[in-house]
Amino acid sequence: MTKTHRRTIRFKLNGRPAIAEIGTHETLVEVLRRDFSLFGARESCGQGLCGCCTALVNGTAVSGCLYLAAFVDGAEVLTVEGLGSGNELHPIQQSFIENCAFQCGFCTPGFILMTKELLDRHPHPTTDEIRHYLSGNLCRCAAYPDIVRAVKAIAER
Amino acid sequence: MRSFDLVEPATLDEAVALLDSQDKSVRAIAGGTALMLMMKTRLFQPTRLVSLRRVNGELRGIRMNGDGGLRIGAMTSLAELEYSPMLASAYPVMSQALRTLSNIRIRNVATLGGHLAHGDPHMDLPPILITLDAKVSAASKRGQRWIGVSDLFAGYYQTSLATDELITAVHVPSQPLGVCCWYEKFTARSADDWPTVGAAVWYSVHSNVITEARVAVSAATDRPMRIAAAEAALTNAPPTAQVFSKAADAAADEVQPISDLHGSASYKREMVRVHVRRALERALNLRSNGAG
Ligand SMILES: Cc1cc2nc3c(=O)[nH]c(=O)nc-3n(C[C@H](O)[C@H](O)[C@H](O)COP(=O)(O)OP(=O)(O)OC[C@H]3O[C@@H](n4cnc5c(N)ncnc54)[C@H](O)[C@@H]3O)c2cc1C
Ligand code: FES
Ligand code: FES
Repeated sequence: MTKTHRRTIRFKLNGRPAIAEIGTHETLVEVLRRDFSLFGARESCGQGLCGCCTALVNGTAVSGCLYLAAFVDGAEVLTVEGLGSGNELHPIQQSFIENCAFQCGFCTPGFILMTKELLDRHPHPTTDEIRHYLSGNLCRCAAYPDIVRAVKAIAER
Repeated sequence: MRSFDLVEPATLDEAVALLDSQDKSVRAIAGGTALMLMMKTRLFQPTRLVSLRRVNGELRGIRMNGDGGLRIGAMTSLAELEYSPMLASAYPVMSQALRTLSNIRIRNVATLGGHLAHGDPHMDLPPILITLDAKVSAASKRGQRWIGVSDLFAGYYQTSLATDELITAVHVPSQPLGVCCWYEKFTARSADDWPTVGAAVWYSVHSNVITEARVAVSAATDRPMRIAAAEAALTNAPPTAQVFSKAADAAADEVQPISDLHGSASYKREMVRVHVRRALERALNLRSNGAG
């Protein structure tokens, strides 16, 4: 690997300044796991289809498996680990627990972050809007009805 | 994925200068959603990628032209387009199609320029832009030129862009009031999948006669294309179920479908028949309801 194939990126990660030495070809999800031990985003399909690798970049959801880590230089990145504050869970996380919106939990970080973008845009979404936003996230345990219920519950709060 | 040289120029001139007319392993990267898939599967192994994300100015933004049409910068994300009130009022057919184009994460990142330059026949917007008579402006070291979206696609994953040429913007002309316009996306797997068949129609009706018609099909064929036989069947005919059926038959006869994981060639031919007809009907219904 030549020198131009590597670089230093500086960005904000879960509210704190972050710095990483990366290869230009590395994806966001790889770097989050390897350099920051953040395992909430995980690569599953690797093709942008399932949403397990979701992270928010400047407030919008991206598939970390298709996003070059180099592109977060200068950006603000939020992962599921940065959502709550201290020992307090975020209301979305709380609602997912209260509504049993998962079984194995593999898809859950992605659904929660996608819900964050949804509620930032539409604080009181209709069921159709919820389905529209979450249609690109797959849950192998098929917790879908409970997920929609969890999202509705926060929106009605 | 193999490592590569990644450059992030700040101006269009620099970006164009960093491309190479002889070397296919040097390419632009916009959102990267399509390119990353190709690199991960090693279908494409770049030596250098020229990122367009820091290029300021003309690649960005949606604005109205002097003639009432829209100029959409190539780096506009599909999500910006989806949420654009200007797009929704000028071309509701596009806003509608964007809602089922992939998923929100991809639309947040994918750009209109990448969508067109990729040359993938399974894209949703090319057939619509063809029927709206849109054109792209392209820039290279040799200067700027216009390419009609209908002339942009040269074959399976092939465009008429030179290796060192960039799309800078897409220009969509303003549409006459009352024109009938619709896009039918047919997916054989999930709702937000790539289409098995995409059928876009555009026609104007005066005194119960179709005076001008454009029909474009994508995904079934090796590239998005206009279907002359269907257009001929519509022109100077009344907008009736019978005429729509005839035009749909003509489209099914004319297309040369390709088999892929979205469907076999013979299945796609039948789906072209069904969805061209539905698009023609839907376009008329929408107009009479005042929603199209
Ligand atoms: C999971 C998934 C599902 C999808 N589903 C659909 C779907 O249902 N319907 C649909 O239509 N599409 C679908 N897509 C495709 C999506 O629309 C494209 O991936 C996207 O539009 C490409 O844009 P990009 O900016 O990411 O392009 P990139 O990946 O950055 O680039 C694609 C190509 O265009 C070139 N390029 C980029 N910008 C320019 C420019 N300005 N000038 C010249 N060349 C340029 C690049 O060199 C490359 O060859 C899907 C994609 C994924 C990953
Ligand atoms: S792993 Fe990235 S979307 Fe499935
Ligand atoms: S809870 Fe198991 S995949 Fe969704």
